[in-house]
Amino acid sequence: MVDAGHHPKINVLTYSELEEVRGFVGNFKVKVKKKPRFVIPEKCNGCGLCVDVCPIEVPNEFDEGTTTRKAIYVPFAQAVPLVYTIDMDACIECFKCIEACGKLEAIDFSQKEEIIELDIGTIIVATGYDIYDPTPIKQYGYGRYPNVLTALELERLLDESGPTMGKLYRPSDMKAPGKVAFIQCVGSRDDIHEYCSGFCCMYTIKNSLILREKYPDLDISIYYMDIRTPSKGYEEFYRRAREEGIKFIQGKPSEIAQDPNNHNLFIYSEDLAKGKAIRDEVDIVILSTAAEPRPDSRTLGSKLGVTSGPSGFYMESHPKLKPIDTPTEGVFIAGSSQGPKDIPYSVAQGSAASSRASRILSSPEWEIEPLIAFVDADKCRNVRKKCGICETRCPYGAIIAPEGKPAYVIGAKCHGCGTCVADCPEGAITQLHYTDVQIVAQIHAILREKPEEKILVFTCHWCSFGAADTAGNSHLKYPPDNRIIKVMCSGRLDRKFIYEAFRIGAGMVLASGCHPQDCHYITGQHHAERRLKAVPKILERAGISPERFSVKWMSASEGQTFSKVMKESSETLKSIGIERIKEENEKAKPELEKRIKTFREDPDVAKILLADEKVDIEA
Amino acid sequence: MEEDLRIGVFVCHCGSNIAGVIDPKKLAERASELPGVVVAKDHGYACSDPGQVLIKDSIKEYNLNRVVVSACSPRLHEPTFRVCVYEAGLNPYLMEMANIREHCTWVHPDYPEEAFEKAFDLIRSAVAKARYLAPLETIKVPVTNKALVIGAGIAGISTALDLGDMGYETYLIEKEPSIGGRMAQLDKTFPTMDCSI
Repeated sequence: MVDAGHHPKINVLTYSELEEVRGFVGNFKVKVKKKPRFVIPEKCNGCGLCVDVCPIEVPNEFDEGTTTRKAIYVPFAQAVPLVYTIDMDACIECFKCIEACGKLEAIDFSQKEEIIELDIGTIIVATGYDIYDPTPIKQYGYGRYPNVLTALELERLLDESGPTMGKLYRPSDMKAPGKVAFIQCVGSRDDIHEYCSGFCCMYTIKNSLILREKYPDLDISIYYMDIRTPSKGYEEFYRRAREEGIKFIQGKPSEIAQDPNNHNLFIYSEDLAKGKAIRDEVDIVILSTAAEPRPDSRTLGSKLGVTSGPSGFYMESHPKLKPIDTPTEGVFIAGSSQGPKDIPYSVAQGSAASSRASRILSSPEWEIEPLIAFVDADKCRNVRKKCGICETRCPYGAIIAPEGKPAYVIGAKCHGCGTCVADCPEGAITQLHYTDVQIVAQIHAILREKPEEKILVFTCHWCSFGAADTAGNSHLKYPPDNRIIKVMCSGRLDRKFIYEAFRIGAGMVLASGCHPQDCHYITGQHHAERRLKAVPKILERAGISPERFSVKWMSASEGQTFSKVMKESSETLKSIGIERIKEENEKAKPELEKRIKTFREDPDVAKILLADEKVDIEA
Repeated sequence: MEEDLRIGVFVCHCGSNIAGVIDPKKLAERASELPGVVVAKDHGYACSDPGQVLIKDSIKEYNLNRVVVSACSPRLHEPTFRVCVYEAGLNPYLMEMANIREHCTWVHPDYPEEAFEKAFDLIRSAVAKARYLAPLETIKVPVTNKALVIGAGIAGISTALDLGDMGYETYLIEKEPSIGGRMAQLDKTFPTMDCSI
């Protein structure tokens, strides 16, 4: 901590939050909101006279509410920077602190929020985790029984500089305990959080050993489902605890009851090793509560283009091969924001993240994929009359439509989502590597044989294609009647692709992409959703049953969702039946032909359409 | 344009991951009949050195100007095969992948015949796209050699210290008044039982 505070290359900005990120790898423009402390760091010498006179007391977050602090405070004695802060939610503005500060004049109530703008090459997200509040688990009585603590509360009580100077007392009567019990997996590996929080076994063993050292006669039990000690030296640590007389009881307690007279606690559990039910009277129960994602992690993630998995923790690019990378190039994740981690693992990930970041930072220039858009100036409508739709579709300001002139793309700013391409009324914009002719060629290839038996699935690169990969990686089976065509963003999905698929006989079409808040291109999904909303009605009017077209949004981690959607679609396809599909397609053909008219104006696309029609006639 | 196309298709077995469900040899035979395809081969592991040598040698031997690799997800090995074709003198964007593992054999092991037809369709789709691929040049952008670390707990502090030691100007932002995060709340830490701060 102190090293980071003193390092000549590290600028520590505390009491500051990320406001906005723009730009791309190597070239991020970041806005940081610096909240006012109402104390001038350069003038404050940390003497604490202000604290003595402050009349306001609020629960101390650092001590998990086991103590109080003043409205003007430092969170803890070794804080970096050691500068006081006024908590304006608590302050009554009596200004006694100004008086106490006297000649130093370090207190300044006129401070305002400040926005700092930074040019940044790479960003590392290390926002950590939160602790699950076990109050909703009524049977354990946390919040109602004073002698039921969380592990982090115990952690503060054991701290020599903590509220009790490192001594353990029963909170109900401040008497020394004779018997304590820990309960593992509170809110983990259950209906609340499916995952294992990873580090609780080890910190419980650690706390039991600290207690053993301090109180050799204390009776200590640990109720557990499984003890997980896979890292180096951890199993030995567990063995040491057993050798020192800590009792390990395999069983998840069903209930804790309290004797209302003396606040003693009764644990009701089973002991799997002995195969019997037990009732254990103890002084203090410590709940090893789950680690959970920070409540604001999704909001922060959407500013950075970092998505969350089903557990709510940030999703890495690849679970094995890119555990530090995120879908946004130049943005990395470290520590528990990606999933619960202990200290050695977090330190290692910090080093890994710095190494991944330095690959970019050490290069004078960085290569990015050229999947950008360009405008055919001859086709652009903006020359004849004011259009500029493309400009409104681009979240990066990469496409400009000057009055009376054709629109143009600024290559370095274009991220290659293809939203402008799909929304251009003249088909004047092309996205490299995802051109109309390439996609139409794929549609025709897939639907070459028995098209009515197939479900054509359009996915985006980052999320729904990833969901299909996740389904594969997890071997989640589904019927084999679907075929995927990938674009970079659902924003690229031109309605004509869907009409063309049905025109040449598709059984079903499914369009997919990310969830609204997760779009890798900020607004591409939003435009796709708006554009695709009109499709079912148009199809229905043409004679196609509306259930033959659907739109699904899912994240890359949702393999289960992908598999489920494929199963449901397959059932729908079968229930409609090939004959009805053929009939509907035949009926809809003239209307669909009208809808894809502009495809015939593109010579390359027209060639594909004609070639297939010729083959059909010959057949 | 059609006459000039010389597409090579390479079907990976991925050990038994693909070959355990469908027959890559037969798949390659069928792929060889697709328009524009001049050669189609199968290999045990396309991503391995011998697999890549097969692709590179075929590019030279058959004078290929498009390559389709039918294997795992492009999210996994697209960079691998782009480099592979580049080393054989082809523009990396003239390579297209068909995902017949994650999207096919791994999820359809109970339907080998249908899985074969699906794999063939995915190859046919990749070949169709390959016909229209154009060589592309990557875009080079300048790099600001400064880093931003969000969150000053143990992971963020470790990251910032390493980056700082490497000489990069690093901004470490923390929403609380002090750095330290959860770690600062802990008295002693395992397995060394030393102080956390």
